[in-house]
Amino acid sequence: MSEENRGNGKNDFPYPPDFEPDHGCDPFDPNAPVPQEPQPDKQNQSGMQNLKEFGTNNLPDGKSNIHCLTIIGQIEGHLVLPPQNKTTKYEHIIPQLVALEESKDIEGVLVVLNTVGGDVEAGLAISEMVAGLSKPTVAIVLGGGHSIGVPIAVAAKYSFIALTASMTIHPIRLNGLVIGVPQTYEYLDKMQDRVVRFVTQHSRINEATFREMMFRTGELARDIGTVLIGQEAVECGLIDEVGSVGHAVDKLKRLIRDKNQKQWEVQSVQ
Amino acid sequence: MIIYTPLYLELVLEGLEDMKEPKTRQVELDGVPLVIEDTGPGQGRVVKLISTNPRDYLRADLYPGTEIKFTQQWSKP
Repeated sequence: MSEENRGNGKNDFPYPPDFEPDHGCDPFDPNAPVPQEPQPDKQNQSGMQNLKEFGTNNLPDGKSNIHCLTIIGQIEGHLVLPPQNKTTKYEHIIPQLVALEESKDIEGVLVVLNTVGGDVEAGLAISEMVAGLSKPTVAIVLGGGHSIGVPIAVAAKYSFIALTASMTIHPIRLNGLVIGVPQTYEYLDKMQDRVVRFVTQHSRINEATFREMMFRTGELARDIGTVLIGQEAVECGLIDEVGSVGHAVDKLKRLIRDKNQKQWEVQSVQ
Repeated sequence: MIIYTPLYLELVLEGLEDMKEPKTRQVELDGVPLVIEDTGPGQGRVVKLISTNPRDYLRADLYPGTEIKFTQQWSKP
């Protein structure tokens, strides 16, 4: 505190007190450290919040070299779906995949699918991104990987399906008013070809079999198409293996190890 | 816009007409530009990230749907 603020003598206003109480700091000093409110532990707080809001508990920190990408519910595309739908937002997943490709810490990606399909464009965009990753990728279908979930499942380098999980293969439909039937038909056919081409290029299934499944009658009550359950998806060549999360993580770790070994061999040859 | 799903479309699109456009605004949190929807005074929900840094999209605390609390900061327009 400067002298002019305090007054010069005892008789000047404001009268200085007879004794200066010792606060430990000068309240008028702008450079004095500001007393800090005790800060809650951020990690602990978010853990408590998660427990309260979602009934889930945070796991202790431990950096994993694999990233788990969950695709659930409807894959939301250019149209925001009404709130009763659980959705996966493509505008968040796509930059995430960019970050995964770029990240040094993450060596492999596990794609966990339990989806009922959704927007064709968004689904194909995610599929292309997963297929284009240079890092090992393993997909696992749990519960369901229907419609546009099929290309996402086959996009990974290796795919698993749980024994009870199902995949519906059926034709693409258009909702709403149709103007110009021949053109619309052509357009739909083209959209369908995109999906068929992607699936046949990224799995062992051939085009004729896939199309036959797509247009099979008598399996679905309100639609044409096929439902593949567990082993059936493997037998037709769509999925690589029946397995659960343990198999998927094990396979991913093995792919990562193989990749690292190959890199090491290349380096030692040079 | 084609929705490719085995669910009945009337189920998926139910309530589409009654959907109100949420009142969103852009804020910056920890240097990450976000679009948020106000849910009450001093709190909001993350709608989406509009950052160009891909790392931001891996942050669990900024995932769309996360509730955030903030103190209003007034600044000159």
